[in-house]
Amino acid sequence: MDFANFASQLNAGTILPEGIVMITLLGVLIVDLILGRTSARWIGYLATLGLTAAIIALYFQWDSTNPIAFTGSFNGDDLSIVFRGIIALSAMSTILMSIRYVEQSGTPLAEFIAILMTATLGGMFLSGANELVMIFISLEALSISSYLLTGYTKRDPRSNEAALKYLLIGASSTAVFLYGVSLLYGLSGGQTELSAIAQGIATANVGQSLGLVIALVFVIAGIGFKISAAPFHQWTPDVYEGAPTPVIAFLSVGSKAAGFALAIRLLTTVFPMVADEWRFVFTALAVLSMVLGNVVALAQTSMKRMLAYSSIAQAGFVMIGLIAGTDAGYSSMIFYLLVYLFMNLCGFTCVVLFSLRTGTDQISEYSGLYQKDPLLTLGLSVSLLSLGGIPPLAGFFGKIYLFWAGWQAGLYWLVLLGLITSVVSIYYYIRVVKMMVVKEPQEMSDVVKNYPQVRWDLPGLRPLQVGLIVTLIATTISGILSNPLFTLANNSVTNTPMLQAAKVVSTQVSVITNNESQEL
Amino acid sequence: MLSVLIWLPIIAAIIIGFYPAKDVPASQIRLVSLIVTGVVLLWNISILLKFDISNPGMQFTEYLPWNETLGLNYQLGVDGLSILMLILNSFLTWIAIYSSGKDTERPRLFYSLILFISGGVAGAFLSENLLLFFLFYELELIPFYLLISIWGGEKRAYAGMKFLIYTAISGALILATFLGMVWLTGSRSFAFDAVVTQNISAGMQLVLLAGIVLGFGIKIPLIPFHTWLPDAYVEASTPIAILLGGILAKLGTYGLLRFGLGMFPHAWQIIAPTLAIWGAISAIYGAVVAIAQKDIKRMVAYSSIGHMGYILLAAAAATPLALVGAVAQMFSHGIILAILFHLVGVIETKVGTRELDKLNGLMSPIRGLPLISALLVLSGMASAGIPGLTGFIAEFISFQGSFSTFPIPTILCVVASGLTAVYFVILLNRTCFGKLQNNLAYYPRVLWNEKVPALILAFLIIFLGVQPVWLVRWSETTTTAMVAAVPTTAKTVIALK
Repeated sequence: MDFANFASQLNAGTILPEGIVMITLLGVLIVDLILGRTSARWIGYLATLGLTAAIIALYFQWDSTNPIAFTGSFNGDDLSIVFRGIIALSAMSTILMSIRYVEQSGTPLAEFIAILMTATLGGMFLSGANELVMIFISLEALSISSYLLTGYTKRDPRSNEAALKYLLIGASSTAVFLYGVSLLYGLSGGQTELSAIAQGIATANVGQSLGLVIALVFVIAGIGFKISAAPFHQWTPDVYEGAPTPVIAFLSVGSKAAGFALAIRLLTTVFPMVADEWRFVFTALAVLSMVLGNVVALAQTSMKRMLAYSSIAQAGFVMIGLIAGTDAGYSSMIFYLLVYLFMNLCGFTCVVLFSLRTGTDQISEYSGLYQKDPLLTLGLSVSLLSLGGIPPLAGFFGKIYLFWAGWQAGLYWLVLLGLITSVVSIYYYIRVVKMMVVKEPQEMSDVVKNYPQVRWDLPGLRPLQVGLIVTLIATTISGILSNPLFTLANNSVTNTPMLQAAKVVSTQVSVITNNESQEL
Repeated sequence: MLSVLIWLPIIAAIIIGFYPAKDVPASQIRLVSLIVTGVVLLWNISILLKFDISNPGMQFTEYLPWNETLGLNYQLGVDGLSILMLILNSFLTWIAIYSSGKDTERPRLFYSLILFISGGVAGAFLSENLLLFFLFYELELIPFYLLISIWGGEKRAYAGMKFLIYTAISGALILATFLGMVWLTGSRSFAFDAVVTQNISAGMQLVLLAGIVLGFGIKIPLIPFHTWLPDAYVEASTPIAILLGGILAKLGTYGLLRFGLGMFPHAWQIIAPTLAIWGAISAIYGAVVAIAQKDIKRMVAYSSIGHMGYILLAAAAATPLALVGAVAQMFSHGIILAILFHLVGVIETKVGTRELDKLNGLMSPIRGLPLISALLVLSGMASAGIPGLTGFIAEFISFQGSFSTFPIPTILCVVASGLTAVYFVILLNRTCFGKLQNNLAYYPRVLWNEKVPALILAFLIIFLGVQPVWLVRWSETTTTAMVAAVPTTAKTVIALK
């Protein structure tokens, strides 16, 4: 193999955004080593700058003619670009909200940012990973950094417990995933690249065999863990309660988006033969997640725990698009994940802000907040109402698109369940709004009575404010002005050869199976 | 032109809500909101004057492409079914703001929410796109929840939450039905004229229609979905109760007419007898339960359930006359309920109680509240269907139109109308007549601006009662066109001739 040919197969330009993130990550680490704690003042901005550059680089890769890189192990198609963008954006706003939070907890900021950016890197690679080993490595990079982030405030016993729980469950579910992946390697006759596996399985004629179904179930166990779909959700409430809040913001958006990216790529490319089976499994997961997430969230008293169950429920909504399996279904997923980014990060920014000022995040302590901190009240109300799907906020349009796509694909009962559980969800989202807005001044909680003077000039609060206002505006208007986002989501699906090819394969499969049944 | 009705209040609401100055007195904000709604009302009247009553279709249409992927476009239009509702909306919003106290707590949020609701309701009546209608319909949810649970009575938290959940369920049902309608017709767009339900199988049409009836039935409300209403109406403050009963309930009946009868004329024929009986039962139930109440606001709230029953009966009959009656009844119920709630609110603030057992002798000319009592007598009579007042006209047209199709439910409704007179006589007898208690009767004076809304409404009630053409002429062509789409009724009409 001559070098020029090898370089063209390597096509290393595709991972330029990740390269930028990596350089920034190293920069953050080295600067911290040289300058020590004094660098904490501006190191967050350095990381933000790096992530911004990565997003700009992603923009220039849109519709790239030659997306396959690293001899087929990385695919930089439009689908991966959208997901990489979502992950980078979520990391960016996580950094904005963590500058103050991490400083206040007395832990070094640069290490935190370095680990967070490693997780980002893992998630971004996972979105484009096109090969089993690559998938596993990037999944592990994401997971291991997430364990570290969860236990980052190491003097807090709750954080320690959360990290231990997350580690034990996470490591075992990755092991299950790995076992499924190794089965795929075996079944396909030694292929690791996704499309080659599909071909290998088809030629080895093990389609719809027990081995493939077991591999499928094991893989779904790993994916379900990342997107916290019930019944693989048990870690979520405990981890969300124990871990530092910015970390949760990242886990609920970035890590979840990575999980969904993996789900789309893996399931559509490798498992077209058992498409009905994985749709069925995901229907069960979606039903369980919507019901359990929304119903159990009713009974929560801690804000972070409530948002944990809410994120389980929201994953259930997103799965409707995955089950639909049409172009509209995938793009409704992407659109929902985009607006979910805005609403959840806006909500978590407000939670971080409240706990920075008062040191607690019990729901009952929010009562009467509108008088002391109107901006926080507005931000949290808007983001929660948007999560509940109230017009004209972003979440309303996201849900409408999901339900519309689901209905078009004939998933009537799933959509109806989604509608019913959204009504349930309005109840617990509005409960917080009620605490903040409706309560009289004399019903104020003690914490709010002693609320400190709202100041934005303390170090690290200004980026928090910027993050809050940007996500708040995005949550408010990205529904009304949703056309660009809709176009983005739709194009990313229609321009992705993988998804279009998967459709062709699945129709071929159905034709083949029909012929077989006719012959029988 | 129509967009002004939606956006002027909403922009005003945003400005009021986010205006940076601190501690603006409530009276100033009230004044600004009054001016804004006044302009909207005048604008609305100018539309009414330009409205071509010989045209059954949509007028003043506006179209802006919005979201092609969802089939959601910004399409507005007004026809005979919605023009009166628009007027009612802007008029009652003005009345509601006028009748709010000058020292409302948290005035900026209060008035901005009211203006927001006004714009949203106008949007719902104007929409020519199912999804756009749903968007505006759901827009009312949170503002009303906040208005009930911040400025309400003692049990406001409970009432607000109950209202929220019922309305949210109603919204979910309606959305599911809309999705079903559009998907089954194979349309790519949610526009009204793109949804032609004739191709759907009869069974599926019935299922969808049931979704419409249940979804809007919660909002109207029909028994047994009415249980949110007494709590919400009674716990809400006066202006909010006016908006709730006067406008929001009309969204339900409007939706029923527009989407039920208008889009499923065939299936409508099948369920019409059930709806007629349902309407009659609602009317009787509302009246009987109102008789048993000891609280005047609760009485008025149940009277609203009864009056909504008439509309359902008339809609079920679907003769040209009955539909004109239904629209007229929607309008006149709106203004009668508004005056009743306003007067009850005045009595409650002056006397300090709403209990029938404690109120007495308010008619007394010097120490009582003579003008308020007189207006209460008038509006009670209007509500009970006494000739010469608008309530009578609307009810009479409805009954006249329904009798040929559903004689027995119509007679039941006439009986309910008699029962309405019973509980209003009880109400008037216990509050206005009798003797004042000497030791308690030191009521504050009724201020001029507290009388004005009631006087305007009373004038309108009498005027439309003696000159009913102004009430019915707007909707005639549209409703006739709607009836023409209903197959079997048209035949019976011809047969009768």
